[in-house]
Amino acid sequence: MRASRTALLLSVGLVAAAGGILLSGRSASAGDKEFTASQAESAEASVTFSRDVQPLLQKLCAGCHGSKQPKGNLQIDALRHDLAAGDDAETWQDVLDRVNLGEMPPPKSQQPTKAERQILVRWLTDGLRQAAESRKNSSGRVVMRRLTRYEYQNTMRDLLGVDLNYSAELPPEPLSPDGFLNNGASLEMSPSQIEVFLRAARQGLAEAIVTGEKPKVHQFRREVTDVGRLPNKPVAGHEPANPEFILGVDTFPRREEFEVRVRAGAIIPEGRDFPRLRVSLGCLPGIIHVPRKIVGEVDVRASSEDPETFFFRGRIEDFPQPGDVPFGNVDFDGMIVLIDFLDADGKELRYSDRTYAVPPVKNPPVKKGAKSNSVIAASPAPPPSPENPRLDIVVQSVEFESPVITAWPPKSHTDILFAEDAKPQTPDAELLYVQDALGRFASRAFRRPVSESELAATVEFFRTVRATSDSFEEAMRETLALVLVSPHFLYIVETRQGADNSAPADHQPVNDFELASRLSYFLWSSMPDDRLLGLTRDGALKKQGVLDQEVRRMLADDRSSEFITRFADQWFDLGAIDRVAVNPEFFPDFDNTLKPLMAEQSRAFLAELLRSDESCLDLLDSNWTMLNRSLAKHYGMTGPRSSEFERVAIVEQRQRGGLLGQGAFLLSNSDGEQAHPIKRAVWILDRLLDSPPAPPPPDVPELDPESPNLAGLSLKDQLAAHREKEACGNCHRGIDPWGIPLENFNAIGLWQTESTIRRAVKGKANVTRGAPVDASSILPDGTEIVGLDQLKAYLRESRRDLFARAVVRRLSTYALGRSLDLGDRKSIGELTTVFIKSDFRLNQLIVALVKSDLFLTK
Amino acid sequence: MKKSWQLDRRSVLKGAGVALALPLLEGMTCGADSKADDQPKRICSVMFPYGIAVPNDDDPERDWGWFPRGKDKDYQLTNVLKPLEPLMDHVSIFGGLSHPNCRAMNGHDTGDTFLTANNLEAGSYRNKISLDQFVAQRFGDATRIRSLTLSTDGGIGPRTRSTTLSYTPKGQPIPALSEPKLIFQRLFGQDDASQSDRRRLQNSASILDLVRDQSKSLRKNLGQPDQRKLDEFETSVREVEERVERSQRWLSIPLPDVDPSSIALDADPDGPKDYIRAIYDLMFLAFQTDMTRVATYQIGSYGPTIARTFPACIGLPGNWHGLAHGAGKKGGAEQIGKFDQFLAQNLARFLTRLQETPEGDGSMLDRTLVLYGSSNSRTHLNRNYPLLLAGGGQLGLKHNHYLRFDEKTPMSNLFVSMVQAVGLEVDTFADSTGTLSGLS
Repeated sequence: MRASRTALLLSVGLVAAAGGILLSGRSASAGDKEFTASQAESAEASVTFSRDVQPLLQKLCAGCHGSKQPKGNLQIDALRHDLAAGDDAETWQDVLDRVNLGEMPPPKSQQPTKAERQILVRWLTDGLRQAAESRKNSSGRVVMRRLTRYEYQNTMRDLLGVDLNYSAELPPEPLSPDGFLNNGASLEMSPSQIEVFLRAARQGLAEAIVTGEKPKVHQFRREVTDVGRLPNKPVAGHEPANPEFILGVDTFPRREEFEVRVRAGAIIPEGRDFPRLRVSLGCLPGIIHVPRKIVGEVDVRASSEDPETFFFRGRIEDFPQPGDVPFGNVDFDGMIVLIDFLDADGKELRYSDRTYAVPPVKNPPVKKGAKSNSVIAASPAPPPSPENPRLDIVVQSVEFESPVITAWPPKSHTDILFAEDAKPQTPDAELLYVQDALGRFASRAFRRPVSESELAATVEFFRTVRATSDSFEEAMRETLALVLVSPHFLYIVETRQGADNSAPADHQPVNDFELASRLSYFLWSSMPDDRLLGLTRDGALKKQGVLDQEVRRMLADDRSSEFITRFADQWFDLGAIDRVAVNPEFFPDFDNTLKPLMAEQSRAFLAELLRSDESCLDLLDSNWTMLNRSLAKHYGMTGPRSSEFERVAIVEQRQRGGLLGQGAFLLSNSDGEQAHPIKRAVWILDRLLDSPPAPPPPDVPELDPESPNLAGLSLKDQLAAHREKEACGNCHRGIDPWGIPLENFNAIGLWQTESTIRRAVKGKANVTRGAPVDASSILPDGTEIVGLDQLKAYLRESRRDLFARAVVRRLSTYALGRSLDLGDRKSIGELTTVFIKSDFRLNQLIVALVKSDLFLTK
Repeated sequence: MKKSWQLDRRSVLKGAGVALALPLLEGMTCGADSKADDQPKRICSVMFPYGIAVPNDDDPERDWGWFPRGKDKDYQLTNVLKPLEPLMDHVSIFGGLSHPNCRAMNGHDTGDTFLTANNLEAGSYRNKISLDQFVAQRFGDATRIRSLTLSTDGGIGPRTRSTTLSYTPKGQPIPALSEPKLIFQRLFGQDDASQSDRRRLQNSASILDLVRDQSKSLRKNLGQPDQRKLDEFETSVREVEERVERSQRWLSIPLPDVDPSSIALDADPDGPKDYIRAIYDLMFLAFQTDMTRVATYQIGSYGPTIARTFPACIGLPGNWHGLAHGAGKKGGAEQIGKFDQFLAQNLARFLTRLQETPEGDGSMLDRTLVLYGSSNSRTHLNRNYPLLLAGGGQLGLKHNHYLRFDEKTPMSNLFVSMVQAVGLEVDTFADSTGTLSGLS
């Protein structure tokens, strides 16, 4: 991955269009304040375009934004001045923002007088308000939206009570232009998806609704390990195995849930971190090497004297299974559960004096020239003694059970079909029973009461199917499958039925059921639970205090972890970390397993922020962070002893506070070899300040890093040279300065005081120590910044209002599942004010959002 | 001459001992008219594991090597392929071909890739679509069954030791059928499984229909943009309905009434002679009745297959794997060679049956491609696969030669020639670089 750095830099963030240099103005005040202020003024004498506004635009703007090579691709006199009629309202909104922020006209050009500025602002504000109103009334919004993959997965699980991988075959979702996966306009539907939905419904229902006797439960338990031969050398890429404990699973069902229970404790010498226990399942017989797959890993904190039981669950079909052929291993008839011990770093614990679950090789045949027969070398260690304990795990017992049955018929069955003894005996009784069951199921699936005609059609279908089905249950499954491919289930539907004539046609209140779905998909990414649906039936949901109470209940529920995960992933673009490959030539010690941990850190940070109800300004800078052992080690910090994330006060490494000190942001916005100030800058502008630079124009010239002008220049100087180019400078003057203060972080998020110049020469990394890092930068508004601390302080102090608006906009976009438009402007402004007044508390913002016009109307 | 798949009701086919009564078979072409182009084109692939003997030309056991002596038109069959001699006008033998992506893989791992040409990278083991499925996908619902996947061991087997040659477009293995009885049931049976398949299709059709009704009534209560979203939904549902209808169309067409008594349906791998013959008979029958036009058959597997003991059935000592390993030892070539000859006899019988059954202006063989070979030459060596292609005389293929290639020519080029011969307008498959020269 020989990368020319400058070429990459250029491809990321050149700005030319109107959205460009938002933050380069001199005014540090918030746009929203001025926005509301100017609205108040607009009641004054009216302004006419041709008389008052046009001459001003001509005088102040047309010099650069005229017909001849307009800068930023904005030609001011080409915009329609009837804002409500054309498509130019968004562009005018940009113009207003910039005039408000004092960015335009630029400092060196002629400035408007106070009166002139007022005329412009008043005209723009009035026009935009009208445009917003007329937009709302023409309703260009997509309100209905398909369930996303993860929403579908969660909803099927909650609805059927069976946790299968329903979404495995669904294609990945496209990202909306504003970076979200749950945007109704972007979510598409294809024939193959319909086929998958139908197949998944049948699969799920086959598990949820059962027939016949309770199936045989396959149970195996051992307190002492099984011993048998396993491959002891890598074969065809399969790793050898030398587990501490084996449980043979001779027979097992092919498609079922299983549970592995391990009772174990640890011996932890003073000062050592918690060891880990890893459970895998697979077939590792003689000549066939079906790789094992990890079921789970856990820190063992309990002492060996007071062991703890760990539960691991999975589905057998998700683990490699050979067909019904003999495996050729005399020692194991079927699959095996393997237990390995790891130290806190994830390295296998090996002691030379220990006997493992694999018999020792007797008189190993040593081939000429072959390496040692034993592939897994044990570390020589003195045997343990009471005075001299060594890190270890003691397994008391291992159990395997499949299927996992707590009741028969299972709860999923009785939940859908009522209790077993209520089963109808006559055809007439059956039909009544079916009516009840279908009505109940469909209401849950559609997240609202079903109409009589809907129910009648479904019952009719049941009758038809019943005639050709082998059993009542089979007919029910097919009928419920019909419900599960209905548009009422697959889409979150908000209709115009029962419109309230006193409200504008497109400012209708959502009804209680719609509100319940909005809430549950916002905070749980799943269907409303029985309590929420119950509240809708009583009409209580919108009552004073109930909504607050429900939001708090839902946030306290485990399912809200979905909100944290999905919102953090989409807001912070945590998926980006997998799109950057760290070049091992540059960072030979970097362990790729850190990547998911980095993403997890950012999620855990947001979760902790919400849990402890702290200020969202901590996202910009904080005196605490979330760490687990591996990540703390990577950052060179003292942190938790375990693999679980814990809150850690930042004492020394001040730079680690906030999102900007986290690996996810730093690594994602590198190229895997070097830091990438432009990517980092664009991320800050886009994700934290909601002022993304426009994408680079297609004809942007590339700088040739090999050119004599650039060779040997430091990065900062290269960028400076780059900005000198007229075509680049216009935009990059607004971008680069935001990324340069982060130069102390290298590509993998480690602190550096000397810039290490790594060049790929003929595919090999050539590392040379460079000059001290120069992280000083002059921001577009003229503020001089040296290093990350000052950048973070500047963001917290001087850009907090803009940041507040960014949080509100991101959260609202996610909550509504659609892109924001002009019609939302007012609500966003109000919410921003509330958010700032509440000291940037996310909990309060969520409550305020849920109670806002934005959330309560469609 | 009548076309084999358009037989009079109750006409009885005596060819090769299979009695058939075929009601309304013309219906099975599913409305196709009888233009020559609509006559079936078929593709069948057979693989055996472990490789063959490759003695040098001066080796006294040269006649037990699999590959002929000489090359091109000037070749001489050894003992091994001698059973094919009468059929050579319909057979091309290839030397030097292999899958470049698989050459560096473990010698026992390439069964999975025989028809996919894909490198199963350690760690992921992800496979790609196999040749037969590639074709079956494009043949679509022209036949009642899209493709038939058979193997001695059945199922899918463990990864890298699979017991199936067929892989979906996503590279997932397709379970193979192994028991003659079950294969017969799958083809001609009214068993419970097919009954419930049918019911399911019927239900699916009704479900989709109802869902579309729901969508239509929902539409009335929605704004313009939402209606467009619903359009997307309805179009998709409609498309799936059509797919279901195509599958359903077969339901109204009665199955051919086939008398199974002449096939050794009780054969099991314990009696390899009967068993291998029964599998070939079933493939022949499936083609003859036009139940399908695509089949794969994996004899044994690179894993601990039931077929390891097959050589014993003709009195050879040791297991198949051992014989293959011993091919280079003194007397070894003769032993594995005798077994390979036995396999070739079975193939010859299958080809003869195809050739003796008239179809159009020629025989079934003229419209059926049969690929046969192994993904090892010397055991564990993933190069120079022993390969031959039979049939397809009326599909533009030339035969009766031994074509040798160097390693620059990937085996996928042969695949491209094959898919083109069966009428697909396709220029590439996997890592192909063109078609195979000399074949057409």
